[in-house]
Amino acid sequence: MRGLPYQLKSVLRDKFCLMTFLLPILAAAALNLMGAIDLSSLGELHFGVLEDGLSPETTAWLERYGPVTAYETRSELAAAIREPSTNVIGVEADGAGIRTAVAGDELDIFQQAAATLPALYAQREIAAQAEVLTRERPDILESMQGIFIPAVLIVAMFMGCTFNAMNIISEKEDGVALVNEVLPMTPGQYILQKAAVGFLFGSLSSMVTACICFRLSWQNAGVTLALILLSSFVAALIGLFIGRLSDGLMVGVVYIKIIMLVFIAVPILCALIGVSGPMAVICNIVPSRPAFDGIMAMSAGNMGTAWADTGVLALHAAAWFALYALLSRRRRA
Amino acid sequence: MWRSFCALVRKDCRMLASGKFFWMAAGFLVLYTAYVNLGYIRFMQMEPYHVYLYDPAGTQTEKSPLVQAVSSLEAMDAALLADANGVGLDASAGDVRVLLYRGAEHVDRHRADYALSLLRPTASRAPEVLGTNTPEQKARKEITCELLFFELSAVGFLGIAAVLFKEKSMGVVRVHAVLPLRRSLFLLSKLAVFLVSDLIFAVLLTLLNVGLRQGAAALPAVLLQTAVLSLAMALTGLLCALLLKDFRQFTLAYLVIAIFAATPVFLSANTSIKFDWIGWHPFYHVYMGLKNAFFGEAIPPVYCMGSAAAIALLFLAVQLAFRREIGREG
Repeated sequence: MRGLPYQLKSVLRDKFCLMTFLLPILAAAALNLMGAIDLSSLGELHFGVLEDGLSPETTAWLERYGPVTAYETRSELAAAIREPSTNVIGVEADGAGIRTAVAGDELDIFQQAAATLPALYAQREIAAQAEVLTRERPDILESMQGIFIPAVLIVAMFMGCTFNAMNIISEKEDGVALVNEVLPMTPGQYILQKAAVGFLFGSLSSMVTACICFRLSWQNAGVTLALILLSSFVAALIGLFIGRLSDGLMVGVVYIKIIMLVFIAVPILCALIGVSGPMAVICNIVPSRPAFDGIMAMSAGNMGTAWADTGVLALHAAAWFALYALLSRRRRA
Repeated sequence: MWRSFCALVRKDCRMLASGKFFWMAAGFLVLYTAYVNLGYIRFMQMEPYHVYLYDPAGTQTEKSPLVQAVSSLEAMDAALLADANGVGLDASAGDVRVLLYRGAEHVDRHRADYALSLLRPTASRAPEVLGTNTPEQKARKEITCELLFFELSAVGFLGIAAVLFKEKSMGVVRVHAVLPLRRSLFLLSKLAVFLVSDLIFAVLLTLLNVGLRQGAAALPAVLLQTAVLSLAMALTGLLCALLLKDFRQFTLAYLVIAIFAATPVFLSANTSIKFDWIGWHPFYHVYMGLKNAFFGEAIPPVYCMGSAAAIALLFLAVQLAFRREIGREG
């Protein structure tokens, strides 16, 4: 591995590689600095009323549930209700009560809120007397925002493929690949050095990201480290495939884009839809899925599933390595 | 001139075909369609809060069928733990107590009062419906608009730059400098090929994901907005490709545009998060133009004139940059 310092030097000069190395770390730091993105405010109710259309008491009552915006004319109010990016519920006085208006394209939760709002208004005095006990949410991963952190970590874990792919393609374009053929270096040594670059940078980026994202116990640190090392190894091998298949930088960028898109989309969709059974096994063909599932399981304290996912990832590492070795041998033959 | 233009268009089509651009566009079309129909539509559902009631003495006789009875406080705790947005009602001690996991303050108040109202359901007037779309139609239009915008602004932008960089490396620009052709034809042929391919992509994406009837109704306005976005992005891509040294530098510019330009636009245009400065972001207006086209809203004439002027200015800038490049090559 004497050539490794040269490979590292070559990668460190590449701004694209450095940017991909720093991107997940910056994203994790941003998520951490913000504490947690309060997505619950997106589920907040927004009300639209006509100026002087409601009594101050009714407006104050509505403000308990969400922001109230007053519109000068009825057409402005109707336009705000129909606006597709918001879920504004129109509220008007109706005798002693209120009546509501919606666009009809809102999610069920907002339509139900609009349908029950007049009844809530009628029972407002009874509701005010009830005792309400709130508890802290048990686990941030229960909510949507928990998906962001594993997603960022997945990006870091599989970003390793960018380093060696870009490096190999640049060498092909600059003619260094031809020079390498006459250097006293076997193809095995060359591949090992290139894979090591992707593996080292991918692991390092993921470890820093994981340290920013999680406060890990020793046991969790073991699983996380195993997941990171195996994912980075698989990513480095995928990078070798991309480097080998791409004729130019542009084709390489397109391949990386497609692979990253699939690697991020599949595990997130599986988690959101709640895939299980044979479908989950099929999804495990994409290596980011066991990695993502492992992190989610570890965060939920389900260590059995996390270790099982680590096993699946180890199988991936072995299979990808065997495939690459087989293809390299065939090519030489 | 027409024959020269046709020859250049043929050359550009061959370049795109050899770069597998058409295959890539077809692949993205399949990927996006599968995502919309198999994933997004299923995911974009948000049921009303579930309400769990523990009432061992059976005091709540009028409760709504939406209330789910549980056999013990432990069962209610387990239900709330699995469904953190749900609300628990404990009627075991006479007065009803509300139990819920903390979320946003306003939402928590509404959840509690909504759950209590289900114990004494009263018939109230149904909300007046002002729009014409169902939740699924809205979700389909929104996601198709987002995907089309992403495809045109990111993929198209990258594609045209990739072609130009390839041509630069092959020496096509140098050859063009000595050919007896009008210089603008070189740029116009590229714009025409990308415009036609983007329009075909927009037609297929809209019809496959919004539906035949709704999609066909929105198509004229969508195609107009697609043409605006396609021309603007292709010209920006050409300008970047002419000004930047190599494709590596271009990919950095691409990353910056993809992350910092697109994210705030998507947030402001699709959620209730509205940034005060978003009106100064040119992408926001282009995105809203496309979105208004999908939702059948009127597009202000000022926007149409502004986009025409912006395209004309971009074309002039690209022509200047191209002349400078030819001068350098020649």
